[in-house]
Amino acid sequence: MIDFAIYALTLVAIWSVMAISLNIQFGMTGLVNFGQILPFAIGAYAAAIGVQYDLPWWVGAVAGLVAAPIAGILVILPAGRSSQDYWALITLGAGEIFRLTMLNVPSIAGGADGVTVSRLPDRTLAAGLAVALCVVAYAVAQQIGNGPFGRMLRVIREDETLAATLGRSPMSFRMRVTVVSWAMAGVAGVLYAHVIGYVAPTSFLVTDTFLVWTAVILGGPGRNIGVVIGAAILILMSVSTRFLAEWSGLPSDLVANLRLAVFGLILVLMFLFRPAGLFPETKRVQNVDGL
Amino acid sequence: MKRNLLNAAVFAAAAIVAQPGALLAADTIPVGVIANLTGQDVNTSLQMARGVELAADEINAAGGIDGKMIELIVEDSEYKAQEALTAATKLYQVNQVPAVIMFGGSSLMIPVGELAQQEGKVLINTSSSSAKLGDYPGALFSILPLDNIVGKELGQYVYDKGARSIATIVPNNTFGTGIADAAGAAFEAAGGKIVRKVAYTEGQPDYRADVQAIIAAEPDALVGVGYGDDSRTVFKNARELGFDAPWYAAYPSIFAVENEEWMNGKLSGVDNGGYANDGGAAVLAAYKAKWPDEDEPLAHIYYGYDAMMVLAKAIEAGGVESAEIAAALPSVVESYVGATGKIVWDDRGQRIDPPLDIIEYKGGKFETVGTID
Repeated sequence: MIDFAIYALTLVAIWSVMAISLNIQFGMTGLVNFGQILPFAIGAYAAAIGVQYDLPWWVGAVAGLVAAPIAGILVILPAGRSSQDYWALITLGAGEIFRLTMLNVPSIAGGADGVTVSRLPDRTLAAGLAVALCVVAYAVAQQIGNGPFGRMLRVIREDETLAATLGRSPMSFRMRVTVVSWAMAGVAGVLYAHVIGYVAPTSFLVTDTFLVWTAVILGGPGRNIGVVIGAAILILMSVSTRFLAEWSGLPSDLVANLRLAVFGLILVLMFLFRPAGLFPETKRVQNVDGL
Repeated sequence: MKRNLLNAAVFAAAAIVAQPGALLAADTIPVGVIANLTGQDVNTSLQMARGVELAADEINAAGGIDGKMIELIVEDSEYKAQEALTAATKLYQVNQVPAVIMFGGSSLMIPVGELAQQEGKVLINTSSSSAKLGDYPGALFSILPLDNIVGKELGQYVYDKGARSIATIVPNNTFGTGIADAAGAAFEAAGGKIVRKVAYTEGQPDYRADVQAIIAAEPDALVGVGYGDDSRTVFKNARELGFDAPWYAAYPSIFAVENEEWMNGKLSGVDNGGYANDGGAAVLAAYKAKWPDEDEPLAHIYYGYDAMMVLAKAIEAGGVESAEIAAALPSVVESYVGATGKIVWDDRGQRIDPPLDIIEYKGGKFETVGTID
């Protein structure tokens, strides 16, 4: 039983890293990234391709860490001068282009067949790595959010023109935010591949991006602890409702649908009564000289 | 305070997951079932789960196994690898089931197969036909035959029917491309020509562009596989665009026919030959008795039924532990003739040499019109 709790903790930690990554982009900077699953997928595929060519696991991990932020730069360059609507569409499209390429070009990573990745044999080790990654991501996000860099990100989020009048280049800040946050998501993808043990295009759908968005909105955009708790609630609700379903004694197909309905209902109620999230961002007053 | 909240959430989850294992009575044998009860291709998956249920009912009505009743624990995979793995981890670790019967594509079956091997557990596959499934001998056993066997027979059948040029249309997944490749290779080896290959993305609301590409290639016949809502949409698009060539398929009985009148006499192909035997007829009768208001069942009900039956026989012959089941399974299937006919496994536990029939869609239902040796 404890193994199952450890497995759930691993998932919570991995998806928390994804939520922190999106929080830096959206919560702090205002970047509407609808392709958040892309760096995650790049990390996972880097691990898978490394395994395919019999390379040590760390080669795939380093490749994922490097490839994800590079992809981020390539994606945001054409979106640099665009408004947030276009930013959302470009990132959404980039994620789908990558997934469909992996699906339709089997020579890269098996196409629809996917690739088997060596699974971490010890669940405790997997959980330890995931929690360690989450702690590092959280510390980095806190460092960004609480320093002058983070304050300027919030200025860009609230008023891009104001940031420019202060002599800062919003594009430069966005670029740095993308590099850091996509690297986080890339490493989370590497770890995910070694936890699940299999990488296929079906694991990186648009719906997975919106799982991360739900965690951020639920927890409270702009608050790192909030988005971690948002991710934890989502994963633990998904896991725990399996047991509620088992206890109910109702037909399995009915219960499966009710489980998702209850899940959705709780989220709707949350958004109705706590629209700023469980842990809303606190208002900060700063001296502009400190930027 | 923040750390306390996180800890509280983790411990709350641990407290929740601690309970259900204790609910299983000592006089039952827990068996796990993983099916995509939500998400994609729900109906076919549900049919498999019902097949398992019918077999469990039959076993329990006959007094169970050594007096112990089969208790099914059904989990939803949502047709996602992560959720399938979560379901399997729960079943193996919390519910302590020795074996799981599963419906799902290879993207779900392979990670769960890997987990089963790692945990020393048993997984019985009822729906996936990837060649990679053979990589988990002693842990993963298949009731569905491999793609290359059925695909090869389909290719030869199409050539024998007089077609000399074909187009293929399949869902872009391991099952679809596996069948298309095997059927295409056999058809070309016989002297035929493939003029167009289409592998469509599942879950789309419309496949007109794909169907138009096929019509433009002017094939003598169309060859493919499909299931669920996607197959219904492909048929609808083909009918509306005036496509009129014969349609040959692997497992035509799992298609969702969209328009009975239009499809009448147009669809035929190679299917499992076991359904028409006494075992298949008995399962069909049991299904209609238990769910009288439901439509005709899909073929997956027979695969689910056989999976539960061979598992029960292995428990009876070997014991309730996973290792005992894995050791007993190959020998019990040798004497088992079930709803999908005789099951022959290779040394990896993958089904080979299945009984195959030719079936045609006539008068609103499929009829067996021949048998393949």
